[in-house]
Amino acid sequence: MLPVKWIGALLILLAAASLGNRQAARQRRRVLELEEFRLALRLLSAEIGYTATPLPRALKEVIPRLGRREVRDFFREAAGRLAMEGENAGGAWSYATEKSRVNLALEEADRLAILRAAAGLGGLGRVDQVKQLEMAEAELAKLAAEAAEGLAGREKMWRYLGVLGGITVVILLL
Amino acid sequence: MKLERDKWRRDIFPYLTSELKEALRRLPAEEPVEEIRLRAGRALLVQSGSGEIVLSQVTVSAAGLHQVLMLMTEHSLYARDEELKRGYLSLPGGHRAGFAGRAVVEGGVVKLLRDISGINIRVAREVKGAGEKLLPRLFDPKTKKVQHTLVLSPPQAGKTTVLRDLARLLSGAGLKVGIVDERSELAGCYGGVPQLEVGPRTDVLDGCPKAEGMMMLVRSMSPQVVVTDELGRPEDVWAVEEVINSGAAVLTSAHGRNVEEAAGRPALARLLSAGLFERVVVLSRRAGPGTVEAVMSGGEAACLAQRRGKAHVTG
Repeated sequence: MLPVKWIGALLILLAAASLGNRQAARQRRRVLELEEFRLALRLLSAEIGYTATPLPRALKEVIPRLGRREVRDFFREAAGRLAMEGENAGGAWSYATEKSRVNLALEEADRLAILRAAAGLGGLGRVDQVKQLEMAEAELAKLAAEAAEGLAGREKMWRYLGVLGGITVVILLL
Repeated sequence: MKLERDKWRRDIFPYLTSELKEALRRLPAEEPVEEIRLRAGRALLVQSGSGEIVLSQVTVSAAGLHQVLMLMTEHSLYARDEELKRGYLSLPGGHRAGFAGRAVVEGGVVKLLRDISGINIRVAREVKGAGEKLLPRLFDPKTKKVQHTLVLSPPQAGKTTVLRDLARLLSGAGLKVGIVDERSELAGCYGGVPQLEVGPRTDVLDGCPKAEGMMMLVRSMSPQVVVTDELGRPEDVWAVEEVINSGAAVLTSAHGRNVEEAAGRPALARLLSAGLFERVVVLSRRAGPGTVEAVMSGGEAACLAQRRGKAHVTG
């Protein structure tokens, strides 16, 4: 009887610790994804401002230059949706934001900042279009800076919280 | 003459809303469609070789027009704003869309068109062979000498088609041809590639102002023939004189039912009465677009133009 109890306790502890680790990793991923989106918006605004590439092609041009798969998927979703009949650029962007929600470690505020780029997308002159993207990029930069601040502390906190939570449950059950 | 009548559907349908497509599909396949006119709040009209067709079952909406515009610009107004400022877009296949709406003016210059109220899709008709009958009158294959030629015609009578075909034929005959295509009508460039056949030895300067373009071509591409459409501004005339003096032949067109009417415009009057053109071709729609009404020598045209000038002074 006794060893089974101990094995159970160990399993609970491990599960809780891994949950904490996952949360900690998510904190780090969020920062990386925000930075990647900043890069993507800068690339997109260069495509628009410098070579005036139309959006369907500009979105596809951005994809191979991105490092993170989940952000590449976002642009793939947007480009695919834009090719559909009756869709517009803003709609395709919002669709991609919604669709990639589960794959990204982003929070609601981050999503709103990304959606800001969708406002008037494709319907503005070149200068205004670039400005709009730059504004969204600046917003993401602010969020990324905030998220990076104290990241190490928050990561440590989630790891401890996982382990300690596990220990608490074990103690209560024993 | 080779004419693929149904090609426009393949080219233009991707830019139309589903109800417009539905209505246009009902037209017979062999209908020689020239223009599709979309006007906000009004019925869809089709101008065809056989007359006007009213597709009254479809009323074009302002939202529909906006959607067509966004499809034509690939959801990217910024990519085509230079063309939109001038009021038209060129489409793949050499077709063109003209726009009417409210102009936003800044410093006396049209900055953009907003609230699009009308779109006119002009179907490009590439009539290979349109220039074949004219070619022997303008070109001597032995000496490879091309006469300086002006093609005169009222709108929609096929000047551009004839010019394009002449460019193709001359290019095929071994001459270096340079086209200045200010309104993307001659070669119908889309994404830098001519959508209409202009020949194997032809360089196209797309979207470039005529006068400047002619000089650029002469300086950089050493053309033997310079082709350009719709002469009319004073600076165009100087450029034509420059090209003629540089040794290249000029092949160009202007609006006008006849020499007298064309000579009513000061810029053209100067060119015509100075006898700079060696051939003047007059086209009409009498027996379909591209009907050749007259081919005259530069001397004859100069006479007519001078007479018109005198009548103008005394009358």
